[in-house]
Amino acid sequence: MSSPFQPGNSASNRVRIVVATSVMLTFISYWRAAAIVLNDLGSSAFYAAGIAEQAVGKSAPWFIVGVMLFSFTVRAVYVEGCSMFVRGGVYRVVKEALGGTLAKLSVSALMFDYILTGPISGVSAGQYIAGLMNDIFATADAHGWIPRAVHIMFHGTPQVDVNWTSVVFAVAVTVYFWWENTKGIGESSEKALRVMQITTVMVVILLAWSGLTLLMQAHQSVPLPWPKNLTFSHESLGFLKHTDLATDLAKKFGLLGILIAFGHSVLAMSGEESLAQVNRELAHPKLKNLKRAAIIIAIYSFVFTGLTALLFVMIIPDSVRVPIYKDNLIAGLAMYMWGPLLLRLAFRAFVVVVGFLILSGAVNTAIIGSNGVLNRVSEDGVLADWFRQPHKRFGTTYRIINLVVFLQLFTILASRGNVYWLGEAYAFGVIWSFTFKSLAMLVLRFKYKGERGWKVPLNFHIAGYEIPVGLASVFMVLLSTAIVNLFTKSLATVAGISFAVGFFVIFTISERVNKHKHALHQQQMREHFQLLHSDKVEREGLGIRPGNVLVTVRDYNTLTHLKWALERIDEKDQDIVVMSARVSQFGAAAYDLATEQIFTDYEEHLFTQAVSVAENFGKHVSLLVVPARDVWSAIVQTAINLESSAVVAGLSSKMAGQEQAFELGRAWEAAEEPKRQFVLQVVHPDMNVDTFRIGPHTPSMKTEDIHLVHRLWLNITREPGLDKLHHNDILTEALTRFARDYSGQQREEILKQLRSVTGADPGSGIVEPRAIATTPAAKDADVSDGSPGKKPAPGAADAN
Amino acid sequence: MQLIVILGIRLLEGMFAVGMAGSAVVLIVTGIEDLETLFGSEDSHLH
Repeated sequence: MSSPFQPGNSASNRVRIVVATSVMLTFISYWRAAAIVLNDLGSSAFYAAGIAEQAVGKSAPWFIVGVMLFSFTVRAVYVEGCSMFVRGGVYRVVKEALGGTLAKLSVSALMFDYILTGPISGVSAGQYIAGLMNDIFATADAHGWIPRAVHIMFHGTPQVDVNWTSVVFAVAVTVYFWWENTKGIGESSEKALRVMQITTVMVVILLAWSGLTLLMQAHQSVPLPWPKNLTFSHESLGFLKHTDLATDLAKKFGLLGILIAFGHSVLAMSGEESLAQVNRELAHPKLKNLKRAAIIIAIYSFVFTGLTALLFVMIIPDSVRVPIYKDNLIAGLAMYMWGPLLLRLAFRAFVVVVGFLILSGAVNTAIIGSNGVLNRVSEDGVLADWFRQPHKRFGTTYRIINLVVFLQLFTILASRGNVYWLGEAYAFGVIWSFTFKSLAMLVLRFKYKGERGWKVPLNFHIAGYEIPVGLASVFMVLLSTAIVNLFTKSLATVAGISFAVGFFVIFTISERVNKHKHALHQQQMREHFQLLHSDKVEREGLGIRPGNVLVTVRDYNTLTHLKWALERIDEKDQDIVVMSARVSQFGAAAYDLATEQIFTDYEEHLFTQAVSVAENFGKHVSLLVVPARDVWSAIVQTAINLESSAVVAGLSSKMAGQEQAFELGRAWEAAEEPKRQFVLQVVHPDMNVDTFRIGPHTPSMKTEDIHLVHRLWLNITREPGLDKLHHNDILTEALTRFARDYSGQQREEILKQLRSVTGADPGSGIVEPRAIATTPAAKDADVSDGSPGKKPAPGAADAN
Repeated sequence: MQLIVILGIRLLEGMFAVGMAGSAVVLIVTGIEDLETLFGSEDSHLH
């Protein structure tokens, strides 16, 4: 066997490091993928119609419906992009088609979109909550429930300032998710699915109740989207308000009016980029599932955002719709339904709860999405490596998160809770990122002649040339809308261009600095390390034997567990593999990352330390870097692929050894067959070790239990006809009876008994993870049965 | 100057109108495909 840094195994003494370039992903169903995207896309239903009506008047809902129908075609562009590239997001596609400069520009627009998603969602959620608070105060005051002293203090009915309350709320939610992302929570598809299920309940009630309301009481008509019905506000004409066009615009340019109104409604289809980000994680068959997810997303958002926009105008009276409910129209709709006030108030409270969930989720999605996009460009050397330095404790790219959250907080405060302003600015990022994307896809039709999984339809062939009429049509609509928006959204244009130029300059300077730095880095790398590119993690690639020991490392300051392993393992019997998982979130890694993008400065420093430790022990180690979506899945998959007998990890800074074992056990359960069992050893800083078996295994039995089985066997074999009974027959019968009782009426009693054994708090409903493993000395926990347990923060890159 | 502005506006209007007409056809064609994807057994084929 050749050792990785054994002298003479290559032309030089450089240390060999195998860098796996395939991301180890956990795949999700199309329902979950659709739920993740809808958490972003669906949230616009809470504010888009209000913004559009303020800009273009009462016929705005038709434009929202038009935008939602048009979003079906934008979705088709994204599906084609994803069918060409596993990660078909804006950056990758534009870079491929139009080069680095326009890619940087398009990412700058996309970043503007993402940065604003957080503030608009947070402020909008705040508007719903503050609106409800004020209505509750007003109702309470009408009933005389407000104490006189409070009444005097507020000079009348107590009311909160809706905009500033929204600012406070948005800041609080953003700070909360900043900390959660710094700690390293992943975007849970489970949570997204739950939120969408609750939202669906609300949408179904909303539509059904609205239908009943339309039947039971008079309703208003929605003016058709003709130029004569458009009433542009002063603000909605932007730079045009200073020109002749501002007067009688509709008569002079009928279609231009429609175009301006369409431009003021495009923010209703924001969130399509998230589709490209979740595409990588879709289960097989990927393309079909992508199309299914895209259809669900399009239909759902059409029904939710499009149809509710019409209902707002039909049901909420003109006198209150814009003056009172412009920023919380769904709440307004609930208040003007047909039925008793108490029921309407209860439904409004439900709307606020759902709004809080989905809009807060969008704040989180915005931070994760921004972090993912900046990580991606950083991997290409467009952003300085400094930004990607992992957090010492949590391993996350905290500097990028800090930058994103700082910009979001600045935007929230600058907006002073004005949803209209935020929405107008948001539309700038949305429309320009879509325009760049569709232009790039159009160029790729001529530049890239290879096979595609799917194409936007309406393609004609003339003289051997393909004319992509459908794709060109979508691009023309987007481009014309984007250009018109430049003139009609003055504040958005100034803010958007300033922001995009700012980011573009940062990207360009970073790229130049990186080029110089990377040249030096490459030289050093050539002197010390030899990077071996490998698509898959395989034992043969590392030149190691089965039964090896996998040591996971993350922080070069905490390599105690590596020293522990090196002290105890005889390399004649077992090989040692040192593994680092580079964790990527949505949009941060791809199947086709270059080796140098995965093995960065940080990994070089980490492995230099690891090799130095190994050299002190005079032992050889194999080095491996694995890009991963989820660190636990990556460790399990690597251990299975390498046929490791043990995984050695340091004690996490944020979870107990049992919790680490529990997470690894869950990842083992989720891994595909064939898979093999292994032992996890969690080494504490004081060199104490917790040992866990991962995968099904014979449980350790207490001495008294063995005696009990034996006594039972002695007694039972005395019975007639049972003299040939074995000990295991007794266990089989006992377990069968236990399983029957557990699935029957005695379930609660059994759980109560087990909780008393494990010492878990019966009231909390939380079972301490594997308390059975807390026996002194060597701990032996069965962590692979997927039982409920206290859930530590998932996605943590903290299995060092 | 006014003439250039009017020409620019007409160009944008033309792009928007033609684009919308083409997009409407794309919407119909993809809509039919979507129904097949959701309710039929679709064989994925490469273009």
